[in-house]
Amino acid sequence: MAEPLLLVDSISAGYLGRNVLHEISLQVEEGSLVAIIGPNGHGKTTLLRAVSGLLGLHGGRIALAGADIHRRRPDEIVAAGIIHVPQGDMLFPDMTVLENLQMGAYLPAAAARMNQRLDEVFALLPKLAERRSQVASTLSGGERRMVGIGRGLMAGGRLLMLDEPSLGLAPILIDQIYEVILRLRAAGRTIVLVEENVARVADKADRIHLLDNGRFVWEGAGSELMSRPEILATYLGG
Amino acid sequence: MSDVLIQIVASGLTVGAMYAVSTIGLSLVYGSLGMLNMAHGAVLTFGGYIAYYIITTLGLSPLVGAPAAVLVGAALGLAIYVVAALPLLRTRAFETSVFIATIGIGAVLENLMLKLFGAYPLPQPLAAPGGIIVGRVHIPAQNILILVVSLALMALVAVLLQRTRIGRAVRATAQNREAAQLMGVRVGHVYALVLAMSGALAAVSGIMVSSLTTLSPTMGADPMLKAFIVCVVAGLGNIYGAVVSALLLGLLEAIAQYVVGVRFGFATLLILVIVVLIWRPYGLFGRRQVVRL
Repeated sequence: MAEPLLLVDSISAGYLGRNVLHEISLQVEEGSLVAIIGPNGHGKTTLLRAVSGLLGLHGGRIALAGADIHRRRPDEIVAAGIIHVPQGDMLFPDMTVLENLQMGAYLPAAAARMNQRLDEVFALLPKLAERRSQVASTLSGGERRMVGIGRGLMAGGRLLMLDEPSLGLAPILIDQIYEVILRLRAAGRTIVLVEENVARVADKADRIHLLDNGRFVWEGAGSELMSRPEILATYLGG
Repeated sequence: MSDVLIQIVASGLTVGAMYAVSTIGLSLVYGSLGMLNMAHGAVLTFGGYIAYYIITTLGLSPLVGAPAAVLVGAALGLAIYVVAALPLLRTRAFETSVFIATIGIGAVLENLMLKLFGAYPLPQPLAAPGGIIVGRVHIPAQNILILVVSLALMALVAVLLQRTRIGRAVRATAQNREAAQLMGVRVGHVYALVLAMSGALAAVSGIMVSSLTTLSPTMGADPMLKAFIVCVVAGLGNIYGAVVSALLLGLLEAIAQYVVGVRFGFATLLILVIVVLIWRPYGLFGRRQVVRL
């Protein structure tokens, strides 16, 4: 089997010396859409933060295309090609939409292709072109989410990690966000998607990993999960 | 009456511009690291002494003395980053521990200056002679020079923050540190840069303050206190708010000194701080903090 793009090898991580993740492993193949689902507060965000280097590991290793990255700084991990669109958007509130997008292409390799990427992002998220000079803190929730995703796309990268892109949005906006995600996938991007709502990802993801209490308790294809009501009932309350 | 007005505006703007220069550094550092640098006043004083040492003691040109003082200020800022901020950054109570650490550094610097230059007040040689007459008011060239240099420095900082790549990184880090890291910003470099800039600005401010009064090891305390007042009024970490507030406070102090007497100038500023803290605790230009539970 070919080397996975992202390899998470029995990592443990957490806060203040206590583990939130307990020796969990994950493989993401190039070009696939992998969803990580599970109840709130069970380590989904912690896993993404560990991969992007915001959080140090207590054990285990993480590799991108075969090269260890878990001892690198977050900026080095971004440069290696892992893009993390964090939960709650974390925009730069006093910057305009355009400045936020420009920050996405902060590293030299991305900055060199800034204009091309801006065109791509505006084509994918036309609303952002309209709002380009608006200050981020004055945007609506849906617009913010799009800036967050657009800012991530500006970096290029090899792996896109999206942390609950549907969080707190109205259903119609969630549909729009997922449409964007599917278009990105169709364009061949490798995506790791954290989601709480199983129904949203069951028919879209190549693989689904169910995270419960800091451990993966089930993994398989999306269609498979929907035919296992006992798993849904046990871990996701129906 | 108009002469009085000219006098008040001239001295208020000079003083305000000086406050602004020392406040920008303090505010930049707080905005990016969440660090209240209590050694700021000592760095400011050190800058003044370096200019004195190079110009008066070594007999070199002010064109050497001023840049050297700025460089030493920047180096001191960097040293504070390496010695105090860097080792404490990963600790839990960073804001408190770095606050205390920088008080210590300030005390060490102050005593070092006391040892090197003595307690006796020294004159700052870097001063422009002459002046101009507006109406019937004599405005010393030194005041004009201070105003011009301050405005130039503020413009320089604004261009750096708004127009350059590293400036954008500084703003991004101040607005959301983790997001900046996820964009590939190496925040350690941003912190180092910001402290070096703050030190350089403090040194300039030290030369300016001492040129209007005298050099003494503790002279930095007053401008640092004023800078804190400006920060509180503007909202900590807000640089543009700090510049506007500094100029307004300079004018207000000058007005208060004229109307109710010199000794009430400082008291007026303190009353203003109390009013602002009651009315808008996040400062005039600060963003209202939303606490999520």
